[in-house]
Amino acid sequence: MMRRRTFLAGGAAAGTGAVLGRVLGEGAPAQGAQAGDAGTTARPVPFEGAHQAGVVDPRPRHAIFAAFDSVAPNRTELADALAALSDRARRLTRGYDALLGAPSEGPTPDSGILGPQVQPSGLTVTIALGATLFDGRYGLADRRPRRLRTMPTFPDDALVPDETHGDLLLQLCADEEQVLLHALRDLMRATRGTLAARWKIQGYLPEAPAKGAGRNLLGFKDGTANPDTSDRDLMRRLVWVARGDEPDWAADGTYQVVRIIRNRVEFWDRVARSEQELMIGRDKATGAPLGRRAENDDPDYAHDPDGERIPTDAHIRLARPRTAATEGSRILRRSYNYSRGLDEAGQLDMGLVFCCFQADVERQFAAVQKRLAGEPLVDYIVPTGGGYFFVPPGARDEQDWVGSGLFA
Amino acid sequence: MLSLQRAVLPAVAGAVIVAAAIVLLVRGGGESTEGANAAPARPYAERSVIPSTIRRVTPADYRAPLRSYRRHVRAALARMLVDVAGLRAAIARDDLSGAKAAWLRAFADYGTIGAAYGAFGELDRAINGLPDGLPGGADSARFTGLHRIERALWRRRSTDAARAPAARLARDVTRLRTRVATLDIDPLEYSLRAHEILEDSLHLELSGRASPWSGAALVALRANVRGTQVVVRTLRRLVLRRDPDRRLPQADRALRRLARALDDLARAHGGLPAWPSLTTRDSERIAALTAGAAEQLAYIPELIDPRPPRPAQRAFG
Repeated sequence: MMRRRTFLAGGAAAGTGAVLGRVLGEGAPAQGAQAGDAGTTARPVPFEGAHQAGVVDPRPRHAIFAAFDSVAPNRTELADALAALSDRARRLTRGYDALLGAPSEGPTPDSGILGPQVQPSGLTVTIALGATLFDGRYGLADRRPRRLRTMPTFPDDALVPDETHGDLLLQLCADEEQVLLHALRDLMRATRGTLAARWKIQGYLPEAPAKGAGRNLLGFKDGTANPDTSDRDLMRRLVWVARGDEPDWAADGTYQVVRIIRNRVEFWDRVARSEQELMIGRDKATGAPLGRRAENDDPDYAHDPDGERIPTDAHIRLARPRTAATEGSRILRRSYNYSRGLDEAGQLDMGLVFCCFQADVERQFAAVQKRLAGEPLVDYIVPTGGGYFFVPPGARDEQDWVGSGLFA
Repeated sequence: MLSLQRAVLPAVAGAVIVAAAIVLLVRGGGESTEGANAAPARPYAERSVIPSTIRRVTPADYRAPLRSYRRHVRAALARMLVDVAGLRAAIARDDLSGAKAAWLRAFADYGTIGAAYGAFGELDRAINGLPDGLPGGADSARFTGLHRIERALWRRRSTDAARAPAARLARDVTRLRTRVATLDIDPLEYSLRAHEILEDSLHLELSGRASPWSGAALVALRANVRGTQVVVRTLRRLVLRRDPDRRLPQADRALRRLARALDDLARAHGGLPAWPSLTTRDSERIAALTAGAAEQLAYIPELIDPRPPRPAQRAFG
């Protein structure tokens, strides 16, 4: 965006009719052009509610996933740390006048990296719990959400302990990177000495296209066939945990799966487009299922039983075969691209922070994952980390905090 | 807030509740349970001001604490000289494991003096300097002291290579010990040491940078905790009257908790284990408790700032 804007300001136009047209066609790109799923979100996203924020709401442009282990010596201090997280999250997501400190007041109360006025910038703080928190340490075993377990190692995984699992996961999303870092520093400071950082990864979304899904770092549109989050019935079936099925305190929560999936991009770039398309099942340019015209067209597997257009082991076909039996295994994806350093061979370490929400990990994510086992794409992707977590219901009101139900 | 009170009541004796009540009176508000908070969570959200009836601290107030601190340093360096002599003796009889054990003792002795942030200048650098910033790094002739010997004993497994550096170390420690009595220690810098010793532990030791060959970060950390406790003890009288939010007891508690965690490790392993050999859980606990203690200790310097007040300044926000 920066480059394009500078370019337009410079007034040069030669040979860029298409680009120019598209920018103008986007309409009012001035303020909110760099938005994620749904325009700019400078307005605060409420922290309180039946459900936590950061699940069904549109993805802002940036995200951090940070996992922690509790070193609290007892359950009271664990409860205090969770309460402190909600307390800080409530302030951060609402925005506030930051105290940067006055003489004789000790350490600066706010990192100040957003200046004296902290704007919400669409910030959401989503707090999730790992299975290990429900071990013997805090007497929480009987409160464990029924379907919460530690993420297993799938056959194609190459998990690195340093970026896998955790007692607690914070998912922070916002329109701006600096807002995320401010929130992360604040939340970590408020729980220093109680929550030990285990791993973190930062992700971003590519500039939103005029329509349709953005591209992942394999160059393909990703997220096209996501369930409609405005369909509340569908969300109840696919995403939210129901009362009766789980411990009472857990109702209205959801299960979160995070997978750090490195893409072997140099290798991928040495593959012909047609081969890539057969592995994915979509046209690289338009995102349409192979043999169809538009991104959102149905792939129509019924008329392609042998995989002549879309191979039967293509990624989109395995992930979602669109049969009556498999529609219940749909997941709500909320992934981000990531890019960090280099490996020993000088190859880029980049890929996808895959994130999805569902009511039942085994029935949904794990079922999809099992169908995908051994797909041709596995040669080009390496899952290196992540974990399974449970996202408790939201804080009901100003006094409540996420996770309070565990201690009630 | 409710949960904080819950944490406090069973854990703390009546005295603290009384103190909290006084804090509430002083502040005239109902939101300061922070002061009696037993939990490490949210240490910095709201603060009270030091009552104006309390006299400001001046450099003269630091005379007694600094005297006491100098005594501590001299005693620690005297112990260190004994251990360095032991180190040299082990080197002379080519006893590698004896030399390593003596080195660890000398290293621990030095860690307790809290020479954070180059407080003892060039002599500190000669005794405990890292190869960082030297042309040629660890191969530089100017790389001397404990870590040069560490490299000789652990990486090169050579008592020979340690002989000359150990002799030099003995001279430097002797010189420092003589100098301490007359050494000018700036009161402001001394007050900052309340948390800066542990900032160094986090930055240099727990990062694995300072003792890469021996993995003795925990030995340094335990010594640093003791050094911090000495500094805090010398400042206690000054801090106590100026601590409306009762940060000092929280800092004490955080330090004790860290010391206990280190003792537990030492007991379980028959001596402090090498830092890189710890399980994830154990290293997370130590790192988190160290960071938590630094967070609490960071309040001390401002409470006893020896500088004259600056002209009134409007605070931001």
